[in-house]
Amino acid sequence: MVGETGLRALGLAVAVGYSAFIFWVYLEQPQTTAEVIGGLSATVGVYSIDQQAFDTGLRFFRQDQFVPARSAFERADPADRDARTQFYIAYSYYRQGWGRLYQDDQLFGLGLEAVDRAIALAPGLIVDDPDLQMKSADELRAELEAGTKQDLSDLNPLRALRQRK
Amino acid sequence: MTPIREALYLPLVFLTVTLLGGVRVADRVALVPPPLFALVLATMLLSILVRCGALVPERLMRADRSALANINGLVVLLATFAAAAQAFNIATPESGLPRLFCQVFLFVLLLNTLVASPDRVRVLRSLVVIFGSAFVLKFVILAAISNPGEGGLKRVLLAMLEGLTLGTLTQAVVSPVTGYVAFAVLVLFLLGLAMLPARAGGLVRSDLQAHRYELTRS
Repeated sequence: MVGETGLRALGLAVAVGYSAFIFWVYLEQPQTTAEVIGGLSATVGVYSIDQQAFDTGLRFFRQDQFVPARSAFERADPADRDARTQFYIAYSYYRQGWGRLYQDDQLFGLGLEAVDRAIALAPGLIVDDPDLQMKSADELRAELEAGTKQDLSDLNPLRALRQRK
Repeated sequence: MTPIREALYLPLVFLTVTLLGGVRVADRVALVPPPLFALVLATMLLSILVRCGALVPERLMRADRSALANINGLVVLLATFAAAAQAFNIATPESGLPRLFCQVFLFVLLLNTLVASPDRVRVLRSLVVIFGSAFVLKFVILAAISNPGEGGLKRVLLAMLEGLTLGTLTQAVVSPVTGYVAFAVLVLFLLGLAMLPARAGGLVRSDLQAHRYELTRS
């Protein structure tokens, strides 16, 4: 009898856990195994980034080597679950796509996606890095969004005098 | 029915069908929840299963069972419903006229089966035919028409459908993996249905009616 009760309790626990997993998977729509594992571990609060890869990415980022920087950041946060790393990825798209006379819309668009992920993970995110002029994710988002829009201010010759943030 | 089947096997089978029933593999993997109409079809299917004796809710939930056993029974019922909705979801074409016709076809077929009240074995055979036909329609015929290439089957189908606007028939192209997943899902679902607690003693409604008729005559 005890065996049957234990079996029924185990079955119930498995069914509840499996149902929760299905609900989560349909909600989050992960695309890779890393995203599944990372998402699940983030849900239970045990997700952590690869700090060494993050530091490598930060070093490349400060040397304006944005492609290898992003590669390292993506290695550090394969599940796209760390707001700070996503913020730096978005910032790298901003700096790479920024130009005195034009903005690279494609890179800014990718930056918007990354900063949206960062904001979704940590609304009101502030990154205290003296190397950055934009420290909040909302500010970075506004800058990226403005860069992808086309209006009359694009024709203003004084735009050539502005500085990259 | 053994406790392990009720508490473990059936929920695992039906929840797996629920999980995989929404899988669509194209350039990315999408998980599609069941549309409202799939819920209607799933409700009809459960009614059919109960009427034909393939599913006896009293064997899963009743007053003289323990609370834990009743919860296990409730899990089986809910998982069966969710799996049925996802089985219809994966067997139905994704868009256009084929989707509409398939939904109407499934609705009428299920309604007919519900009214006819066949026995358990006939219902299970009928479901194999229904889901098998829907699978062939979606993953063989419509997939061939929607394929951008020029296969032999496509040429034959195009000849048969001469004069018809293909825009109403073609579906979004999905990876062949989706077809294999769908096949596994439907087989698993039908196996799960066969494992459900059926009416005890092998007597089904039609048998009982025949028995009652014989008694009345004598």
